[in-house]
Amino acid sequence: MKRIALIWLAAFTWTAVAAAAPPGPFVALPSPVAPLSASPPLGGGATATSEIVRHRVDARTRVDVAIDASGTPFRIVATQRLDVRVKGDYFFTIGAPLRAVEAAPGSDSTPGLRSTAITWAGFNPRRRTLVARVTLDPAVAAGSLPLRVEVAPGRVTLVNATALTAASYSADVVAPPLRAYFAELRRATDRDVIPSSGGARVTTRTSPTRVRVAAPLHVAGVVGGRRVDTILDERLMVRGAGPVRLTVTPARPARLLDAPVAGLAGRALLDRVSRTVLTLARVRQYGSFLGNQDPVGRSATTYVYRTAARPAPPPAAAANESARSWTSTLAVAAGLLLALAAGAVVWSRS
Amino acid sequence: MDFRHSIHIKPLVRVLLVLALLALAGCGGSSSPSQRTPLTVVVNAPFSRSPYLGRTIENGVRLAEREVNANGIRLGNTTYELRIRTMDTALSPARAVANMRRAVGGHAVAVVDEGTGIDASRRIAAASGIPIGIVFQGGGGLVDPVTRPNVFRIAPTDHGLAFRLAEYLIPKGLKIGLLHDDSDYGAAGGRALAAAFSRNRSSVAIDETLPADALDLAPQVLRARRAGATALLVWGRPSTIASAVTAARSAGWNVPFFTPPTGNDPFVRQQLADHPAWVDGLTFAGGRLTAEVGSGPFLTFEQKYESAFGVDRVGVKKSAGASVVVLPETAMYAYDFVNLLAAAVLKAGSTDPRKITAALNEVSIEGANGDQRGFNHNNHEGVIDDDVYFARFHDMTSAPVKDDRLSATLPTLPQTR
Repeated sequence: MKRIALIWLAAFTWTAVAAAAPPGPFVALPSPVAPLSASPPLGGGATATSEIVRHRVDARTRVDVAIDASGTPFRIVATQRLDVRVKGDYFFTIGAPLRAVEAAPGSDSTPGLRSTAITWAGFNPRRRTLVARVTLDPAVAAGSLPLRVEVAPGRVTLVNATALTAASYSADVVAPPLRAYFAELRRATDRDVIPSSGGARVTTRTSPTRVRVAAPLHVAGVVGGRRVDTILDERLMVRGAGPVRLTVTPARPARLLDAPVAGLAGRALLDRVSRTVLTLARVRQYGSFLGNQDPVGRSATTYVYRTAARPAPPPAAAANESARSWTSTLAVAAGLLLALAAGAVVWSRS
Repeated sequence: MDFRHSIHIKPLVRVLLVLALLALAGCGGSSSPSQRTPLTVVVNAPFSRSPYLGRTIENGVRLAEREVNANGIRLGNTTYELRIRTMDTALSPARAVANMRRAVGGHAVAVVDEGTGIDASRRIAAASGIPIGIVFQGGGGLVDPVTRPNVFRIAPTDHGLAFRLAEYLIPKGLKIGLLHDDSDYGAAGGRALAAAFSRNRSSVAIDETLPADALDLAPQVLRARRAGATALLVWGRPSTIASAVTAARSAGWNVPFFTPPTGNDPFVRQQLADHPAWVDGLTFAGGRLTAEVGSGPFLTFEQKYESAFGVDRVGVKKSAGASVVVLPETAMYAYDFVNLLAAAVLKAGSTDPRKITAALNEVSIEGANGDQRGFNHNNHEGVIDDDVYFARFHDMTSAPVKDDRLSATLPTLPQTR
């Protein structure tokens, strides 16, 4: 009996030690803030050349996209409003494929234009509002827009253009801490604060995987007279034809964040958390189309698509009717010489 | 053995060896100063009529020249170095224009200019694409990126000074006498003040034009007093400011004086040296000399400047006997422009003035005071309006005021030796 009790005690002790010991290595999860592609933000994003002061900046951007009858963007104008706090000098550089920039109403200062960047420089006495209206090169900027509009006879297809394939990994994990991190991720997203990066304690070897990630888009407006108000994950076909007027905002990935994880364990749990983190990173990318020089500042971008008439190309320069080719010039010169020679002969015999 | 023959051969061999060594030395590095290609930079300034101003601009340019030439500007296989040529405008627009023609004829790559005669001279430079860097005058019409794409400026603008003065003075509830002289500088300032105070005319007691060469301004100052002025804002040459202060104080009127940067010109203190108390309280607006990192960068620049050219003394002393010196503000602007020019040559990858002008829109440097300095396609002003600060004299030296948000953050720079 005593022996049985000792065996039970030994077994219990081993189990307790096993539970307390680290079950495997700690592996970092993908970052919820690191961009998954080079753009957006356009042109490398925004930077602050700081002396001593680190300004707090919230950035709100509205991107007006004019599309032609086929859905191709031909004019993209972004209006960015920076709410700058903390007293001190500022020198901001915002990279973008620019054509023009000007101060928009409400701006306390005027932006500078470089060939590949907007610049802001000045002294912030306490709080400054900097508003720039930026005309972008559509050939370059269109590739970074979140929505593609495809027009065909009798239908318009809205395509979420944010999708890409990102690198991740799979493994069995210790579930409770990962569930706690997921809950923290959800709270941060709901409070609109930047989520912290997390990690997972894996119990098996990790194997690389590829995950398809897209920022869900809240698309609202009118397509060919039909109202649209939807969360677009992939694509949506709208029957009919006519002008498009849509407001597009990167949306909270509710499908990933709100589905319960209590029943998930192991690889399935890790897959869910990784996918959520990568999606949040993608949402953050499209929320900061022109970037934000404050890494912990808030950023939001609204995209407004409208069908418009393409501006008529400038009239071709009229051909110069008086222009001569070099052959005709030579012929005229030769004629003149001949006339001169003939005149000389006549004069010599007169 | 022919002994004589061997004696005659040896000197010949020595000569040949020396020649060979000289040739080898010549084949070495390609950046020795003698082998560099010169790039001419012209300094167009009033050396005869305003010697201090002319000299301080030239010194700033020469200091930058020395630093740039230490390594040269290397484009491809060629190393360039800056060569400075000075031309005296004598404050005459006609001479400034003639100088610009000579600069173009001499294939200058840039002109550092005090600002006199720019309205005419910039056209001559523009025809060859030569960039002009104004480092003193702040007149509103001198710089315009659209109509004058080759004109840049590193100096506080009249617009910035006037609006900052209005922003500083109007909330104090003062009745301000706006006085400006009839020089080009004063007239441009008068226009800037009119615009800055246009929405607050109730703050203006009187708006008067003063004769720039008058020795006695007592009648005009008396008129301002009778108009109910409780402060005088005098925009003009240093001599005008000194005369206005003399007129008020000698009449026993202790009205506060406010001025643009010319109030800080040594001439004002020299003229009032017999009555140091008259200078006390005079407040001038100027471009800040220090950045947020502190006074370190500017003091380093000042030290280099003084090592190269000596100390610029005002010619007055503090009550304790210390000699008062001038801070090299205008020299700093000239120095920064030349450094921007060197950066633009590198960016352009060319010595073609047109390409250099275009590249000046794309480069920034850390200026002598530690601030970022640069231009862009929309703005050719190197001193932004936000950087205008206010300083007040006491005992012949100045200190930033404490009742302005920017000025209150700035340190007081040592001004005695």
